Amino acid sequence: MFNKESGLEKFKDAETIIGASIKVKGNFQGQGNIVIEGSVEGSLKTGANLFVGDQAKVIANIEAKDAIVNGEVRGNIKAKNYLAIGRTAKIYGDLQYGEISIEKGATINGQLLLLSEEHKRSDKIREERGLKENAKEPAV
Amino acid sequence: MHVYIYDDYLNKGKYNRIINRLEIRLTDLGLNGKIIRLGAIKNIKGTIQNEIKLGAKTIIAVGNNQTVNKIIGAIIDTDVFGDFQKKTLLGIIPIGDDNSIAASFGIKDPEEACNILLARRIEKIDLGLANKHYFLNHATISGPGTIINIDDYSLEATARGEVRIINLLSGRKGYRQSNPHDGRLDIYVRTKSGDDTHLTAEKFIITNPADNLLVDDVVEIKTPVEIGVVRDRVNVIVGKDRAFE
Repeated sequence: MFNKESGLEKFKDAETIIGASIKVKGNFQGQGNIVIEGSVEGSLKTGANLFVGDQAKVIANIEAKDAIVNGEVRGNIKAKNYLAIGRTAKIYGDLQYGEISIEKGATINGQLLLLSEEHKRSDKIREERGLKENAKEPAV
Repeated sequence: MHVYIYDDYLNKGKYNRIINRLEIRLTDLGLNGKIIRLGAIKNIKGTIQNEIKLGAKTIIAVGNNQTVNKIIGAIIDTDVFGDFQKKTLLGIIPIGDDNSIAASFGIKDPEEACNILLARRIEKIDLGLANKHYFLNHATISGPGTIINIDDYSLEATARGEVRIINLLSGRKGYRQSNPHDGRLDIYVRTKSGDDTHLTAEKFIITNPADNLLVDDVVEIKTPVEIGVVRDRVNVIVGKDRAFE
């Protein structure tokens, strides 16, 4: 079952924190852990972990490695590894995940789809290719 | 040649003993050099630039954060900056309060500063750039109505508070240690209600029609302001206990 304490531990030193009074618009992308307590409109992507707080309002498609969602999300969520849905979460969109836990009280209005091993592998290969191509690009 | 720039507040009697002890220590270590007292000269920029032209190997700010900022402001983006970057090091001897810059470089008191000058451990430090104004520490603007455009997204602060762009952390409580040679600036939005936002970026545009950006607590710039970072711009003599890697 979803362990809130252990789930939050890795966000203590998150690289990016969007506070409750901040509105983000556009394609928000990061490499490190991200905490969202405010509002986001557009898309939200990180190669690491994402935490959506209970007061947060996200109108965006989300992609992360691990994701903990406690707030409102209007959009699809793809957590390649682990997706934890807290009891205060309200999700209007499809969920893709490697593993999932859902707390009692959460609202989900969408389809749940388990990512196959093959899917996860192809995502990983795509990521590695992307990294290699980026590494080939000469420094400006 | 070492050139010591004494800030004007050090003329007060209460600093006499510290200054005397400092000068004895510097002489003992063979680090004595030319002393320039800012209170006695009108053209600070011209005087400092002249010393660099004359071949100063080390310019040492004797004073506090403002002293360091005055020296950086006198050198940066001038004809002598090329020479300064190649041949001259910046040292700091902290005296009195408001010395968080020295502290983040691992320099805690005048005596330790002398030992650090002798050891000559050098770090290249980034500078922030707001339009055409360089800054060592930070730039600030009030929170509500401020929009920050980074890559293809924007952040809008909606509550009362402050937006702070940090290159080198100057001892503010509750902020994380920033790294002044990672080629990135830290952006903090802190509201009156204690709500914090933090992220890092290389360059961005900041806009607020109702307020100006205040750079290093000195220069006010009307927005929109393009903010970036210039890497490895100043060579600073630092202590081994500096606050960054």
